[in-house]
Amino acid sequence: MSLVLQSVVLGLLLGGLYALLAAGLTLYFGIMRVVMIAHSAFLILAAYLAWWWHERLGLDPLLSLVVTVPLFFLAGVAMQRLLLARLRAVTLTMMSVLVTFAVALTIEGLLGYAFTGTQRRIQLGYGSAGFELFGARIAVVKLIAFGLAVVSLGALYLLMKRTSFGWALRATIQHRDAARLVGIDTERTAGYGFGLGLATAAVGGTALSLDSTIYPSLHWHWIGPLMAIIVVGGLGSVPGAAAAALLLGLAQSLLQIPLGTTWAQTVFYVALFATLAVRPQGFFGGRLAQRF
Amino acid sequence: MPSPYRRTRWAAALLLMTTSLTACSGGGEDGGGGDGPIKVGISLPLTGDFSEPGQGVQQGYEAWAKIVNDSGGLLGRQVELKILDDQSSADRVVADYEQLIGSDQVDLVVGPFSTRLVVPSARVASEYGMLFVEPAGAAAEVFTQGFKNLFYAAPAVANDHYNHLAEYILALPADQRPKTAAYAAMDDPFAQGTAYGLKAKLEAGGVKTVVDEVYPPNTTDFGSIAAKIAASKADVVVGGSQYQDGVNLIVALQQLNYQPKLAAFSTAPTNPEFAAAIGNKTEGILAPTGYSQDAPYPSNKEFVEKYTAQFGKAPEEDQANAYTTGQVVAAAVKAVGCAEQGDCQQKLIDWVHANKVETVVGTLSWDDTGKPQGAHMIQQWVGGDIKIVLPADVKEAAIVYPKPAW
Repeated sequence: MSLVLQSVVLGLLLGGLYALLAAGLTLYFGIMRVVMIAHSAFLILAAYLAWWWHERLGLDPLLSLVVTVPLFFLAGVAMQRLLLARLRAVTLTMMSVLVTFAVALTIEGLLGYAFTGTQRRIQLGYGSAGFELFGARIAVVKLIAFGLAVVSLGALYLLMKRTSFGWALRATIQHRDAARLVGIDTERTAGYGFGLGLATAAVGGTALSLDSTIYPSLHWHWIGPLMAIIVVGGLGSVPGAAAAALLLGLAQSLLQIPLGTTWAQTVFYVALFATLAVRPQGFFGGRLAQRF
Repeated sequence: MPSPYRRTRWAAALLLMTTSLTACSGGGEDGGGGDGPIKVGISLPLTGDFSEPGQGVQQGYEAWAKIVNDSGGLLGRQVELKILDDQSSADRVVADYEQLIGSDQVDLVVGPFSTRLVVPSARVASEYGMLFVEPAGAAAEVFTQGFKNLFYAAPAVANDHYNHLAEYILALPADQRPKTAAYAAMDDPFAQGTAYGLKAKLEAGGVKTVVDEVYPPNTTDFGSIAAKIAASKADVVVGGSQYQDGVNLIVALQQLNYQPKLAAFSTAPTNPEFAAAIGNKTEGILAPTGYSQDAPYPSNKEFVEKYTAQFGKAPEEDQANAYTTGQVVAAAVKAVGCAEQGDCQQKLIDWVHANKVETVVGTLSWDDTGKPQGAHMIQQWVGGDIKIVLPADVKEAAIVYPKPAW
């Protein structure tokens, strides 16, 4: 049936986007045990910068990545050094919720101040273009967003597995004290890791802006589903989050056929409750110490 | 916490301000009626959630006062607007109208913006027995409160917006008439009202509903809704939309290359930025509209000309609705020959109930609850421009059906 096929295609494209949006969130938790409520606010900030870039400079929003990715990386390092590293280790996870909540509110307020609360959408010449594949339509903008997700998650994977920084980062995730004993500067590594997470937010926000309406308070709409994804995927595991994102994106898209838009959104929370009840460590990540 | 000293200082400043204000208004007052200006009291959301449309409504009222005054005023008296800012709050709006009627002793009041503010303010006006013509309360709940003094100064309420289109579709010969329709509406009384008004009429006329989707106002991904509509291959697609959701839904439908025979969306297509927002692929899209700068009603030409001269741009629907409100009140005042609180107000109310009024949105008349008896004009995007196509007596172009591919 063509509707099911179409929904599968839409669901996979959506799931890919979810994977990219959730990658940073799970990374922060893995590296630092930080719950980063402001992640989705940074996504929306990046989306606004892409919109502004296209609106003011007339350039393709994808080119804004040249500026936003380094910028967000530096912002991430700064945020880790100046805010999160100062929290006491014992209460870090809990207090990080409060600190990043404040950051999220600040970003939302500044966005409203700078761009007003009016809803925005990037007006692209190829915004409604699409092509036919095995009887399903694929929109170009959705495919670009999916492509961005594949490329950046692939790059992240290679970085983690093949570079000495990646080894240091994984060592920090697995056992901070042991990492320090073998001579890894875990503080600096954690800072860069945090920057890396925020850099994925820059890519994710730009991908999001291609085919979606944005407004300053939109991040509240995203943080819930993204949190659900990283819990289902196993906190701290990027591949786990990617698998959970694809699965939940697909489920949401297919459930819309019988349930409608309003109820299909609840799939994230049902999955979250089920995971916490049945397998709190998540379905895809394995034990925390072995992740990545 | 402010120090007691500071608080006293504030109180003193407030007292000073109040006294000077009283002194100012005291100077111009002459006990109601007579040769002084006719004072019209209005509370508007100039700040807060509704500040954007609120300011539009303010401009419409200001244009009305200026045009009336330039042509000699009402009953030979100048019109003076007294506008308070209710900050989009229902509590403030009540206090504002209490103040306008009770202590400021305005001669007339007219309505604020948005259903949420119209209902509480109409109740205040009703307690004082004042005529209450309003530019913005189109939802059903406004007319079920039992108000005898309220009139909505627009052609139609949400459910009746598409009446002309429904008549047109059902009058088509059987072999051309669409057989199936898909509806997608925002979970919002106004947006949903427009789509469901048309749905009820088309279903009664035998057009089968194949998709009926309601989405929450914060929906940003319309891919799945569009997939359902596209898969149903419905002849007609109707969107009960505001602005961005309409744009998103149309783009999502175009991404799936869905080509209906007729596509109608409320609100979004009449927005000046609409064509650019969907990459100019607007061909054949229909929309109901309560106001058009090009509508050939006699007073509309004057309004557009003078408004443009005053504000440097042409009026939109918010401005026109406020202006229409002014026109209705002015017509009643002229016919009855009075404008003050007291017995005069009941005469004004009775007159509006019994008569039709020529306005910039056409001839208006109301039922007992103050609900207007008309329907909206239908506009269509033809060749990169939006034109009135229905009803026949005001059309600028013939309706194009089936619609060309978008």
